[in-house]
Amino acid sequence: MFIPSLVNGITMGSIYALMALGLSLVYGILRILDVANAGAYTLGAYVGVTVFRLTGSWWIALVAGAAVAASLGFILQRFFYVPILASGPIIPLIASIGVFTALEEAYRLIFGPYIIEFPARVPLPDIHVAGVPVRGVQLLIILVAVVVLVGTWYVLGHTRMGLAWRATAQDAEVAQAMGIDARRVTGWNFLLGYALAAVAGVLVSINYDAVYPTMGDMPAYKMLAIIVLGGLGNPLGTIAASLLIGLVETFVAAYVGFLLPRDSIAFVALIIILLVRPQGIFTRGAVAK
Amino acid sequence: MPGKGRCPVATEPLLVVSDLRVSYGRAQVLDGVRLAVGKGEFVTVVGANGAGKTTLLRAIMGLVPARGRVQVHGQDILPWPPHRRAELRIGYVPEGRRVFADLTVFENLQAGAYRLPGGRTALQARLDFVYGLFPRLAERRHQLAASLSGGEQQMLAVGRALMIDPVLLIIDEISMGLAPVVVDQLFRVFGDMHRQGVTILLVDQNAQKALAAADRGYVMETGRITMEGPAGELRNNPAVVEAYLQSL
Repeated sequence: MFIPSLVNGITMGSIYALMALGLSLVYGILRILDVANAGAYTLGAYVGVTVFRLTGSWWIALVAGAAVAASLGFILQRFFYVPILASGPIIPLIASIGVFTALEEAYRLIFGPYIIEFPARVPLPDIHVAGVPVRGVQLLIILVAVVVLVGTWYVLGHTRMGLAWRATAQDAEVAQAMGIDARRVTGWNFLLGYALAAVAGVLVSINYDAVYPTMGDMPAYKMLAIIVLGGLGNPLGTIAASLLIGLVETFVAAYVGFLLPRDSIAFVALIIILLVRPQGIFTRGAVAK
Repeated sequence: MPGKGRCPVATEPLLVVSDLRVSYGRAQVLDGVRLAVGKGEFVTVVGANGAGKTTLLRAIMGLVPARGRVQVHGQDILPWPPHRRAELRIGYVPEGRRVFADLTVFENLQAGAYRLPGGRTALQARLDFVYGLFPRLAERRHQLAASLSGGEQQMLAVGRALMIDPVLLIIDEISMGLAPVVVDQLFRVFGDMHRQGVTILLVDQNAQKALAAADRGYVMETGRITMEGPAGELRNNPAVVEAYLQSL
C-alpha cells in the first residue's frame, strides 16, 4: 500500500502545486485571495476536451486550455480586480467568489450539467515502480509539474522578471519608484496563474477521464488551505505545502480512510497547523504587512 | 561648482514644481506648492511634522494623485506612471527606508538598477561604487535586508537610490531613528554626490543638518511654501530659528 500511496500522493501534490502556485503568485502581488482562479482550472478542462475532440491531440488541447484561461485571467485582472482593489481586500475576495460561481453556471449552460469524457492518450507508457503500476498520465502530471515548478523557481530567483515580481510583491510602490512597471507585473502574474490552473485542469480531467461544471469546487477550497499553509504569497512554501497535503491526504485516506473522507483531510491539517503555527509552516519569520 | 549660499536657482532649472495640489478627502495636504531646483543644486525643504513635506516628494514621484505641474528638464512628468521616472534617472529614498526585506542586499541594489542602461558592465560599476561608499553593504551583500540593522537598512535605501546613477536624488527623512554617527555618514555621502554634480532635493526633520548641507532651502507650513532663500540665511533667520531650529 505504501508505494501506490506515494505515487498517488505525489501526483495529487503535483496537481495542487500547479494550481496553488498561480494563486500564490496573485496573492503575493495583490494581497487578494482569488477564488476565481479555480474557474480557470475548469475552463482549461472544457477548452481542452473541446479542442481534443476537434484535433485528437492532447498537447494542442493542453496549450489551448492554458491560452484561453490565461486570457480570462488577464481580462479579469485588468477590468475587474484592479478597479476594485482600492476598496480593501474583502471586496475583491467576495467578488472573486461571485466570478467563480458565475463561471461555473456559464460552463453548465454552455456544456451541460453532465460529465464529459476526456479519453486522451498521453505518449508516456504505463510503467511499474517497485512492482506497482504507474499510469502514463500520472507520469505526465508529475513531469509537467516538475518542469513548471523548477521553471518558476528559476524565473523568480534568477531573472530580471523574477526580481521585478519579488520586489513588487514586497513593496509595489517602492518597486515602481525603482522603475518596475507594477501593472505589467500584475498582468503577467494573472496570465501565468490562470494558465497554470488550466494546465492542472486539463491533466486532471485526462487522469479521471471526466470534465464537469463543478469540478473546480473542491480544488478552490483546498487551494485556500494550501496557500495559507505555504505562508501566503510565498511561492516555494506553497509548492512544499502542496506536496505535503497531497501526500498526507493520500496516506491518511489509504491507512485510516474509514475515519475521514479524503477531501476533509486537507482542512483538518489546516486547522491543526493554524492552531500551532498561524503564520503557516513555510514562512520565514513574521513579516507584518 | 555651486557653493553654499548662492542665489535662488541661478543654474538652469532641473526640477520645477508649480501649483502642486494634493488632497486626501477634504484635507488639502498640498495647497499650491511651487519650488525649483537648479541643475547641480542641493535644496532642502524644512517644516514641522505634517506640513506636507513627504507628500510633496511622493507627489513628485507620482505616488499620490496630484494636480499641478512637475517639470523635469522642462517636461511635465506629473501625468506619467510612477515607474517611468527612473528613465529620467531620478533616485528616490523613501521615508522609513522601505528596503525589500525578503530580498538580499545585492538584490535590493539590483532592483534599484532596474532601469539602468548598459547591461552587466554598468550594473557592476554601480555596485562597485555603492559598495565603495558603504563597505558594510558589501560585507553583507548576500544577507537578507531584513537582517540588517536600522542604520544599514538606511544605507541600503540610499545605495539602492544611487544604483540608477541619478541625475536627481530625492531623499525623504533619513535621520529618523538613526544614530548620529550614521546620519553624519549619510550626509557626507550626500555632500560627495552633490560635489560630483548630482542634484539633490532633501526633506528631513533635522532642519539644522539639512540647512547646513544644502545650498538653498524652502520652509513649508501646512501645505504651502512660506519662505525660501539661501540655506545660510534661513539658518540665521529668527523666525526659522524659533520654529524649527531652537529645540535642536
